[in-house]
Amino acid sequence: MKTMRILLLSGLGCLLCGLAAAHAEDTLKVGFVGGQTGYMAQCDQPSLKGMELAVDEINKAGGIDNKVKLELIARDSRSEVAPSAVMARELLDQGVTVMISPCDVDHSIAVAGVTAPAKVPAISSCASTPSLAKIGGDYMFVNCTPDNLQGAVLGKYAAEQGYKTALILVSKDTPYTYQLPIYFSQAFEKHGGKLIGTVEYKLGQQDFAAEVTKIAQMSPAADVIMTSAYEPDFPTFLKQLRSAGVNTPVLGSDGLDSPTIWSLGSVSEGVVFTNAGFPVPGSRLAAFGDEYKAHYGEETQTVFNATGYDLIKIIAAAVKASGGKTDGQSIRDALDNLENVEIATGTITYKGMNRVPIRSVALNKIADGKKTYVDTVVPAPQDVPPAQ
Amino acid sequence: MAVIALVTALVGTTSVTATITNYMIMVVSVMALAIFSGNSGILSFGHVAFMALGAQISSTLTLAPMQKAMLMPALPAWIAQAQFGFSAALAITIAVVMLVATPTGMVIRKLAAPVVPIATLGLLIIVNSLIIGSDGVTRGSQAMYGVPNDVGLWVATSAAAIATFIASLYRESAAGLSLRASREDEAAASAVGVNVPAQRMIGWIWSGAVAAAAGALLAHYLTVFSPKDFFFDLTFATIVMLIVGGMGSVTGALVGTSLVTVLIEILRRLENGFSIGPIDFPQIFGFTQIGLCVLILAILYRRPGGLLGFVEIGRFLVRPRREASTSSTPPAEGAAEDTLEISRVRKQFGGLTAVDDVTLSLRRGEILGLIGPNGSGKSTLLGCIAGNIAADHGSIRISGREMCGQPAFVIARGGVARNFQSIRLFANLTPLENVKAAALQKHRGMSLVQADAAALKLLAELRIEALADRRSGDLAYGQQRRVEIARALALDPNFLLLDEPAAGMNEAETDELLSILEWLTQRRRLGLLIVDHDMSLIMRLCHRIAVLNKGQLIALGSPSEIRASAQVREAYLGRRHSQILEAAIVPLKQTGRA
Repeated sequence: MKTMRILLLSGLGCLLCGLAAAHAEDTLKVGFVGGQTGYMAQCDQPSLKGMELAVDEINKAGGIDNKVKLELIARDSRSEVAPSAVMARELLDQGVTVMISPCDVDHSIAVAGVTAPAKVPAISSCASTPSLAKIGGDYMFVNCTPDNLQGAVLGKYAAEQGYKTALILVSKDTPYTYQLPIYFSQAFEKHGGKLIGTVEYKLGQQDFAAEVTKIAQMSPAADVIMTSAYEPDFPTFLKQLRSAGVNTPVLGSDGLDSPTIWSLGSVSEGVVFTNAGFPVPGSRLAAFGDEYKAHYGEETQTVFNATGYDLIKIIAAAVKASGGKTDGQSIRDALDNLENVEIATGTITYKGMNRVPIRSVALNKIADGKKTYVDTVVPAPQDVPPAQ
Repeated sequence: MAVIALVTALVGTTSVTATITNYMIMVVSVMALAIFSGNSGILSFGHVAFMALGAQISSTLTLAPMQKAMLMPALPAWIAQAQFGFSAALAITIAVVMLVATPTGMVIRKLAAPVVPIATLGLLIIVNSLIIGSDGVTRGSQAMYGVPNDVGLWVATSAAAIATFIASLYRESAAGLSLRASREDEAAASAVGVNVPAQRMIGWIWSGAVAAAAGALLAHYLTVFSPKDFFFDLTFATIVMLIVGGMGSVTGALVGTSLVTVLIEILRRLENGFSIGPIDFPQIFGFTQIGLCVLILAILYRRPGGLLGFVEIGRFLVRPRREASTSSTPPAEGAAEDTLEISRVRKQFGGLTAVDDVTLSLRRGEILGLIGPNGSGKSTLLGCIAGNIAADHGSIRISGREMCGQPAFVIARGGVARNFQSIRLFANLTPLENVKAAALQKHRGMSLVQADAAALKLLAELRIEALADRRSGDLAYGQQRRVEIARALALDPNFLLLDEPAAGMNEAETDELLSILEWLTQRRRLGLLIVDHDMSLIMRLCHRIAVLNKGQLIALGSPSEIRASAQVREAYLGRRHSQILEAAIVPLKQTGRA
């Protein structure tokens, strides 16, 4: 009981010292509520590392425009909704005026429910569902490559390759695995293609024999198969598809951006997928990789390092555009008007996009067990299917 | 609880208020689990499925028609156009979820206790898949948002108080007591007339209703949720809270929820870095989870039954005034034809005929001994009569009613009580509760106060009323035997089946038992069927003795007749030995102890 009391007191003490931290005029407090543990950790942990690197760089260089220093305060949402909202409230109490919300949609909405009334903008660390901005309201921003943007790029690319018909493999289990292929088919049909089949699977399914048989028996066969399946479903599906003798080209999305996919051997040869950027030698992303290694002593393993880094750079760009203002409303308005901001993964534009950015999307192709560069595309706004 | 809420409302910051509100909703969901798992002792992984349905249904009812058209375009018009306030939506939701809980409960009641957790896990997965698969009527895998924010600190606190009250009320009710008896010993519970499957189902439906309320509260507090929020994580969180506090009591559920919440709140603040003197600890994410798991392991290491185990705090605060009923209800004066008639009962296990066409009868007030060598089929015959073992054919008539093939609890209520070879009390219940559980089965509709009085009276008759509120498992052997007999008598039986009642007793205890048994037959006019190996006990006590060998009834008669029977001696000793011993037994016969 006694130790319990000491624990309680020290807990309260910590809370108080947190509350007592003084506001400094030239410091922008950036809050990050993310899933540092739980299922979101695989995205939000690397995002945080990228953010910390960016904050470190900016502060070492004297702050944004040599005026505004950054303070990043991160809290673990444990990948749960209710704590996300609680953490967001605490960070607001600590004077945070711009918030980075968790990777997942409903967690971000819960955070926005707290930050919007306080006129503090929230940017999701990596949720890619475009409807998030609409649901979350005027203070909710999407950051990571939105699903409809990837769908637009893949659809146009498929049409440009001369494919006339397409088949999509979807799973209703997540919006990503369900709606991204639908965005693809909308873009594909806009550029003259035709969707001739939809095959469904369950997330985590062990065997794709039924789906593969359905695809193999289709007559006429589709020119291209598109899916946003990822590990472990994608490798299982692809292996069974190829061993059934179906050699139709396969397109995928950024869930395939993983070394295990590239090294599947001959089956994954020729698979084309989108992601946030490709580190072409001499590019900004390649430079980021070097900086990351210099700072942490290890190679960057996932694109979330770079997207986290970019998030801070985007916030810095907004502060700069607002003339150094650090209040939530000014940052929100400045974010909403950002145009062609150069970031590690390419460029990003919020202006006129209702808080779902247009950003550059890289096309990659797997060749000889490696990810190779195809192209970087910034889709035209009119080519992007509307969010559902 | 009200105090916590009041303090929070007065001095809490918004984030503390949010934490406390969330805690109150967790109390409701843990109480739901406690109603079923706490009382039945069967872990359920399926209650979060009821929460998911609660959240889904209630928010479908409270959302504005315009939002519904946008979020769930495939909803039937009559639902899409309707909009309810939170209270009405909550009531409808609970009713609908109870309807869903009924068929699932029918499956649960069919299953043996060890497989129920797996079945409940199946329920969780099925409901989750159904919600995801019904895209259009639900939001599919996407987030449901814009749910009216109808639940704040006070609503959540009231709900938590009501849920705790319901859980306590249920626990002490006849249904709750019966379910707890089945938790302690399923066979013994059936033997005192508890319809275990039916009680499990009642507990299941009520706990489903409370879980539905928890889901509706959570949805209207968070205002946004998606199917994955009502899946494994939440399931394990609620189970951990229940187990840490102690599954056996409502107080345990409350303490577990509070403790886990407090620990998380302390740990997550420490997680952000702190300093002790000159040493600074950095921010380490994961500290909360790791620390919580370590503390839970430590608690369970020290107290395997959870912090409180089966202790109920309320019991020490309010001890009801009780007195044994003074109106002496004389044992029902049974008609002379009150008999237990067993006719041509047969039971085969594969190729072995354990009981072979046995015909026997037992009158009230008579003591019938059932003896025979090991493996002769005595316990099987006892099991057939008591309904624990289904006879292959034959007839068992209790006071003229055919009972063969009826489940144990029906036979128990029909006037045949039994004990077991080893004592099978409801160890974590008090002697009073043990007896009360039985009394409530026989007298359906008896009030709890009446049952208390009746039970206390029986304990007094067996001179153990002073032990009424102890834990039964802690009593001495002889005392436990008395509790067991009191429990059997609470069924107001006409017949009592005793399987080796004197096993393991010393001479003094055996004598005491004999006087109790005499009292049972003479004062209460019970017919006793006693299986025992203690020959001198059987010879002293029984009016008639039946001898089984290899499943067949080989002799039936008075003790002296049985003693004289060469067939019986042969069965026990083999022909040669029986002849050798003949000489030794004859003098004994002449002393006339029979």
